[in-house]
Amino acid sequence: MKAEDQYLVALAVGSQDTTAFGELIRRHQSQIRNFLRKLTGDFSAADDLAQDCFLHAWDKLQTFSGRGSFIGWLLKVAYTTFLQAKRKSKRYAEVLDEAGHVAQIESRSYTQDSVEASDLDKLLAVLTQEERAIMIMSYACGLSHREIGEATGLPVGTVKSVIFRGKEKIRTSFDIKDHQHG
Amino acid sequence: MTSKIINMAERLKDAEDRLLESMFRSEPIADAGFSRRVVARIRRRIWLRRLALPVAMIVGGAVAIKPASELALAATKLLTVIPLGMFDVPAAWMPQMQTVILGAMLLVVGMLGMRMIED
Repeated sequence: MKAEDQYLVALAVGSQDTTAFGELIRRHQSQIRNFLRKLTGDFSAADDLAQDCFLHAWDKLQTFSGRGSFIGWLLKVAYTTFLQAKRKSKRYAEVLDEAGHVAQIESRSYTQDSVEASDLDKLLAVLTQEERAIMIMSYACGLSHREIGEATGLPVGTVKSVIFRGKEKIRTSFDIKDHQHG
Repeated sequence: MTSKIINMAERLKDAEDRLLESMFRSEPIADAGFSRRVVARIRRRIWLRRLALPVAMIVGGAVAIKPASELALAATKLLTVIPLGMFDVPAAWMPQMQTVILGAMLLVVGMLGMRMIED
C-alpha cells in the first residue's frame, strides 16, 4: 500500500528521513519538471530549477500545514524558486524575454508530435509570465482555482480573471474556434 | 453553499477548456536518477551542516590558542601580585590542575558528542 504524502512528510520532518523525502520526489518530480519546463521553455534550466525547488522544499518542509495537497504546496515552492532565479540570474530573463518563449524543438524530447509541441510554445508566447504560470497550473497540473491562489499568493477572483484574460488572448491570437467544434 | 456553486462552476468545463487541457497535457517525465541526485545533494548538505560547528570550533581554537595562552600567562603573572594570604584556602580542597584540565576536556568532548547524537 502506498503511504500518504502527509505521512511521508511527517517522517521526513520528524526524523529527517531522506528516504521518505526521496519517495515524495519520485512521486512528484514529473509534474514539477513539466511545470518548470513549460514555464521556462528551457529543459536543462528547468531541471536545475526543479532540483533547487526540492532542496528548498526540504528546508521548508515543516511549513507544510497539510491542509492543501502536497503537490499544490510543491508547485508554490517551484514557482517561488523560478521567480527568485529569474530575479537573480540574467540567463532566465534572457530565455523568457528575448526568445519570447520560442520553442527549442531540437533539444526537446516530446513523445507527442512536434506540431503539438510547437503549438503549445506559440500559445504560451502570447501570455505574460504570470498568465503562463497560472494557465499551466490550471490546465497542465489540474490545480483548482483555490489551489492556484494559494500557490501564487493571489485571491481566487484574480486567478479567475487571469485565466479569463489568458484564454481571451489565446482566442484572439489563434483561431481555436474551429477546433472547438471539430 | 456559495463555495459549492463555485466548485461546480469550476468543474463545468467547456470545449475550449478541454482543448486547452489537451494542448497543455504532456507525457510523464521518467525519473532517470533525478530523485537519487536530489537526495544525494540533501544528504551532503546535512553532513556539511553537522561538520560545520566542530570544524569552526577547531579552526577558531587554532586561531585563538596564541592570544588565549598569552592571556593565561598574563593572568598568572597577575596572581603573583595578589597577596598570598588573600585566598587562604586549604590546599586539600583544591583539585589538582591535571584533574581540572581533564574534566574540562571531557566536558567539551561530551558536549560535542551529545550534539552529534542529537543531530
